[in-house]
Amino acid sequence: MTKKISAKTLKKSFFTWFFWNGCSQQAESMLGMAFGQAMAPVIDELYDKKEDKAAALKRHITLFNTESQVGSICNGIVCGLEEANANGECTPELISSVKVALIGPTSAIGDSLWVATIIPILLTISLSISQASESTAWLGPVLYMIVYPLGTCALSWYLFKLGYKSGLEGIQGFMGSKLSSLTDTMTVLGLIVVGALTASFVNVYLPIQIVRDVFDATTGTLLENQVIFNANNVVNAIFPKILPLGLTLVVYYLYSKKRWSPMKLMGLILALACLFTFVGYLTGVYA
Amino acid sequence: MSSIQIILIALFIYLGSIGSIVGNTIGWYTLGRPIVASLVVGVILGDVSTALMVGVPLQIMYMGNVTPGGAVAWDLSYATYIGVAGALVFGKGLDSAQVIGLAVVFAGIGGFVGQFMWNISYAANLPLNRFANKFAEAGETKKMYIPNLVLGQLIGFAARFLPAILVLTTMTTASAQADFATLIPAWVITTLGVFGGMMAALGMGIILSFLLKKQYHIAIYLVGFILVTYFGLGTMAVAVVAILVSILYYVAVSKQADQRGV
Repeated sequence: MTKKISAKTLKKSFFTWFFWNGCSQQAESMLGMAFGQAMAPVIDELYDKKEDKAAALKRHITLFNTESQVGSICNGIVCGLEEANANGECTPELISSVKVALIGPTSAIGDSLWVATIIPILLTISLSISQASESTAWLGPVLYMIVYPLGTCALSWYLFKLGYKSGLEGIQGFMGSKLSSLTDTMTVLGLIVVGALTASFVNVYLPIQIVRDVFDATTGTLLENQVIFNANNVVNAIFPKILPLGLTLVVYYLYSKKRWSPMKLMGLILALACLFTFVGYLTGVYA
Repeated sequence: MSSIQIILIALFIYLGSIGSIVGNTIGWYTLGRPIVASLVVGVILGDVSTALMVGVPLQIMYMGNVTPGGAVAWDLSYATYIGVAGALVFGKGLDSAQVIGLAVVFAGIGGFVGQFMWNISYAANLPLNRFANKFAEAGETKKMYIPNLVLGQLIGFAARFLPAILVLTTMTTASAQADFATLIPAWVITTLGVFGGMMAALGMGIILSFLLKKQYHIAIYLVGFILVTYFGLGTMAVAVVAILVSILYYVAVSKQADQRGV
């Protein structure tokens, strides 16, 4: 009789992973123990003999890592492979090698497509709502709290089922041309939004000005403390908000090309802020 | 802050940290996001509008801090809950730029403590592998939740909740000692305001490192930028434009791929 994982067990395995994938993260097996826990009900159902259960559990507590929300497709695929194995149509070696092979691509897709693109876009929309009016500012985070977890859970469950049903062919189809178009599209969306965010939220003010008392010849009066030169206005006349743009690009360059740590970058920004404030006091921008 | 408020905030710091019991989707990626965290702190401390006023810039600043794992730059949950709470407790009587500056500083302190505790729990979880191995070798499918869920969460809770209580209690005691708004010199507060505005560049810079894959991508980024600077659109309007553009882009690239027969 062929073995089949029941719908209930699949759901249990998925939700165990969805909620508790990060519970025991560490450097030795990364998410391995969590993967083992998620596979336990499946293994329990598929294998009758204690030795078979032990062997299956042991291959699933070994090193495993992924972006866990999109990476639920790995759990689906592995469930499918274990089912095949219980029916003698797959080997433990194949299961282990497939698992290891899935680590790289699912992490990369999950991190770049979901985490680094969808989250910032959703957050941006929430921020815009919060900024629109002070009295309804709470709507932004509330919207995010509903849309993000529900949407992610639905996607994660869909990918899990896709992995289980279509196995390796499934992920190959999923990772084919459609995915690269989709990734490119998400990148375009993300870039435009991040450009708008940079312009709206990064503030760099060049605090250099010259203040003089000016004699107004037409009225014959002395106008005191007139700003006759403001460096910030001059710079912005060339390209509005060029300084925030420049700072952002410098940070990007140092972070991604020079491998500066965020802590070091924070230090640099603090030093710049101190310098700018100091100059601002000297030139009388800040009183 | 009353002790109930401290306990509640500390509890949310734990829930919003990586790998808490509610899962990363609800925890780290939702409760741990500064915009959500600021709403939660605002509700707990009874000042939602000030909380969101500092939550928005904190969210921008930490926009790039997304990936959990071994190389967490800051423990975001710690950073923002402590940052917003610090701004509310110490920021009475300061103007908005200064309150934001305060929040940035407290977020830095919180993030530092959080990163330290993350490293501790990351190391403390290591021996759990031995338990997992033992249960696996015995084929105990019903006990696999013990090392991951039970022991992992005991460590996680201890490493997040307890230090958070300590930090928040210290803040409360310090705020009762003196009126900080009058104690801090004006130039410090000005610097904090300047620093807060510039820190947003960090979040944007890190996000860009994920998104800028080809040279011409910088042009797409600048489209979003000038829609705000030249055309005066709000971020929400730009998000709508971006969605429409990306739909057209998707249609164009998938057509191209079809024609090539890929």
